[in-house]
Amino acid sequence: MTTIHLKNGHVFDPTNRIYNKKKDIFVQDGKIVKSLKKKADQIINCTDKIIMPGAIDLHTHIGGGKVNIARLMLQEFHNNSDRDYDLTADFVPSTLKTGLQYIGMGYTSCFEPALLPMNARQSHAEMADIPFVDKGGYALLGNDDYLLSMISRGAHQSEINDYVAFILKASQCIGIKVVNAGGINAFKFNQRALDVDEQSIRYKITPRKIVNVLARAVYELGVPHPLHVHCSNLGVPGNFKSTIETIKAAEGLPIHITHIQFHSYGDNGDRKFSSASAEITEYLNKVPNLTCDVGQIMFGQTVTMSGDSMKQHKNHKHAHPKKWLCMDIECDAGCGVVPFKYRDQSFVNALQWAIGLETFLLAEDAEKIFLTTDHPNGGPFTSYPHLIKLLMDKTFRDDLLDRLAVDIKEHTILKDIKREYTLSEIATMTRSAPAKILGLKNKGELSVGSDAYITVYDKKLNDIEEMFAHPSHVIKDGILVVKNSVVQDYIWGKTQVVRPEYDVSIEKKLNKHFKKFNTIGLSNFVISNDEMSEVIGSDVNVNDCLRKRIS
Amino acid sequence: MPKISDSPKYKDIVCPFCSLHCDDIELDVEDNKIFVKSDINESCKKKFEQNNLNSITTISSQLNGKSESFDNAVKQSKKLIKNSNETVILNTSADVNITRELLTSTSKVNGIFDHINSETFLKNIDIYQRKGFMSTSLSEVKNKSDVIVLFSNNILENYPRLVERVLAPDNSFSIKANKKKIYVIGDKKNNIKQNLKKDNRIKYIDFNLRDTSILIESFITKSNETSLKENIFNELLQSINTSKYLTMCWATSEFIKNDNCYNIISAISEYVVSINETSRAACLPLAGNDGDVSNIQTTGWLTGFPSRIKFTGNYFEYDRDLYHANSLIESNKIDLVIYVNSISNKKLVLNNKNKNIIVGHPTTKYNIQPDVFIPCGIPGIDYKGLIFRTDNVVTLPLEAIKIPTHRSAQEILRRLVN
Ligand SMILES: [Zn+2]
Repeated sequence: MTTIHLKNGHVFDPTNRIYNKKKDIFVQDGKIVKSLKKKADQIINCTDKIIMPGAIDLHTHIGGGKVNIARLMLQEFHNNSDRDYDLTADFVPSTLKTGLQYIGMGYTSCFEPALLPMNARQSHAEMADIPFVDKGGYALLGNDDYLLSMISRGAHQSEINDYVAFILKASQCIGIKVVNAGGINAFKFNQRALDVDEQSIRYKITPRKIVNVLARAVYELGVPHPLHVHCSNLGVPGNFKSTIETIKAAEGLPIHITHIQFHSYGDNGDRKFSSASAEITEYLNKVPNLTCDVGQIMFGQTVTMSGDSMKQHKNHKHAHPKKWLCMDIECDAGCGVVPFKYRDQSFVNALQWAIGLETFLLAEDAEKIFLTTDHPNGGPFTSYPHLIKLLMDKTFRDDLLDRLAVDIKEHTILKDIKREYTLSEIATMTRSAPAKILGLKNKGELSVGSDAYITVYDKKLNDIEEMFAHPSHVIKDGILVVKNSVVQDYIWGKTQVVRPEYDVSIEKKLNKHFKKFNTIGLSNFVISNDEMSEVIGSDVNVNDCLRKRIS
Repeated sequence: MPKISDSPKYKDIVCPFCSLHCDDIELDVEDNKIFVKSDINESCKKKFEQNNLNSITTISSQLNGKSESFDNAVKQSKKLIKNSNETVILNTSADVNITRELLTSTSKVNGIFDHINSETFLKNIDIYQRKGFMSTSLSEVKNKSDVIVLFSNNILENYPRLVERVLAPDNSFSIKANKKKIYVIGDKKNNIKQNLKKDNRIKYIDFNLRDTSILIESFITKSNETSLKENIFNELLQSINTSKYLTMCWATSEFIKNDNCYNIISAISEYVVSINETSRAACLPLAGNDGDVSNIQTTGWLTGFPSRIKFTGNYFEYDRDLYHANSLIESNKIDLVIYVNSISNKKLVLNNKNKNIIVGHPTTKYNIQPDVFIPCGIPGIDYKGLIFRTDNVVTLPLEAIKIPTHRSAQEILRRLVN
């Protein structure tokens, strides 16, 4: 393997508390090394460069049934008029384009947050066709009839832990996500809303209970990533209260609230729609073990895709263009795909934009908040450089606020917020912090011995958006995959997973259940490591759990 | 030759042959011959056991119907590809991994890629490209659906175990299985004939499927404009109106013969959408049996389109009319067609105005001799693979259950285009 020497760069490596320090970085055999015995095969002069670990996107919908439905539904946005390679729309790119665009922006790991265990084989096969980046998935639980019936009959936490650990293994995932806990399931029994403390008609259990049980399972199993939660009441004015109640449901155990922007709405004012970012971030700032990603919205056409079929069915009335699909899936969960155009003439959309930015800027600790647009729900991941500029440049931000077609200044405190994110904070929220919260060993940092996932930005580019959009060099697995801003030959990343232990007797119970009620057998539900590498096409990398299982 | 796995698995085998892809098949393999142990439909059994035929294992590559070595068949194919101005690569049955290879191959020869059933499956995709759609999957139907309306003249022919495994199961998780109501609407005589087991939950209603839109319209207006007897219509309507989770199920391939195919499925779909304003209902369109869904999905994630794609170097474009393989072939507009038919052995209709290469199931039938025929192994029999089930959400692993006597379609394709 070639050796690489990044010479004289301005290094940002938050894990090692290195911020903007002149340093050399050496790469050999896929790892960062202290020094090289002989002259490097490739020496890159980084005098005018910023060096950071490869970026990590911990919430981006890049593979699985709903993504593919959206691709096929929105063909008219794949622009065939220009003769460039692969013109699939930025908000529903092909797998190849997904990889090309991520690596071109210096992202080296991406995580699909809504992987339905029943749809896992497809999700992994699809993600296996995304070049360059490592990927992983969070298995969706909390709307599956099996778990809900377990909770409803008062199953012991340890049995639930066994089930959760089994699902992680069977579906080759790195975390657990719950979407509208119990709500997707309740929709199948014709319930149209389910608040945190409301019982579902079928199972007589509340979302609070489900979140509590799952947060505990994830914690007791030692899974590094806290339970990843898409709260109840997505998009509903006044939902900030149920968001806070959902956080409380974890009873102090680690919890990650995703696309919190969509869950930070008040119902004040004559429009009965207001920002509750202050209430939410106040909570975020004071509560330990709580993290979130924002799900910033961007103006323009996109598509919303979610496991939350209950809410997506309600939202279909806002579809733009007017088409949509909702699906009930295998007693496991559901999905809803609804195209949407965020317009700055819309009071609600404009305020959503401001609420996301307020949330970023009011959150004090860059380790607790992550940069996402909930791709493609708030906007495509390709808008990250623009978003970073909004966070780092108050003038730019205020200008855009002034130029919005609808005046929301009475309704947002955005103008009063002086804060500008620093490069160190951006490095933290897009590198070290996500690596830590996902439990990715040797990633998101530039320590000697860590994996050589490195992004080099051109400091001379005055425009911060331009700089983040087009890093000059990217190294993945020790290979220079972007050279002078040009993407090189394809390489293929790995699938990141965790494997907490479990009592195999759960498989016996599940086998019985599958035989009786499912339409596939348990043995064909489980995806083995061999199948991952030989048939599906992606090697698995098992990450450590935080500790041994508690109960 | 790839070797069979060290500990072959003969239980819970996935059947590659129809889009239900039942995965409960138990086999014995002796002397590299397959014996189905499970008590399943004879026609399903036969599809496995026909792979024991000597004619399958011994057939070699052919040029114009005459046996040839594999190398010469490849040589001749490469010549045909080189001399072709416009090559169509037509998927006539393949799993996910062969479809991946098909797309790579098409881009290498700057060709046109399509699936033989695209005319049918595009009709289904049309619905959610144009309006709202509510759909469901097999386990939901099995466990939650209390009323099922199935439109078909011969559903068991194409999906032999659909009724026993999904529509009228012994057990349902969320409802009482014995209270399910299943209405099979279509050619009553034929449907009854096919279904041997008597089941009180199933009612067969004689109906000309051409008039399905009128039936749906009658449900909406609650007044019978069809030829159905009033009491039958009323019972049907009553069941629909009191259902908690209604499923409307059809195979678009049965409607496609009618010129109003899209109108029919669109009417059913719209009706189901409207029911969801107050109650729950969903559609279950059944896919074709030629790896249709694997084609749609794989091509979808790799290109954004379901089929009908033309490659030019690294660039590709989709055109529903321009790159429709069947119509290109019929209108003599291309000079070479490569059929890849790895799972089924259905009869392929070739056009003698263009050159024809078949990479296919050893017993693939055809109307005229192709210029080149290269037998390939079958995913799920000879090779491992991945295949999508009819409902688009479950993908199943295909096992290699015997030692292959033919190369995999992927290997052959790589030899042809590289
Ligand atoms: Zn999301």
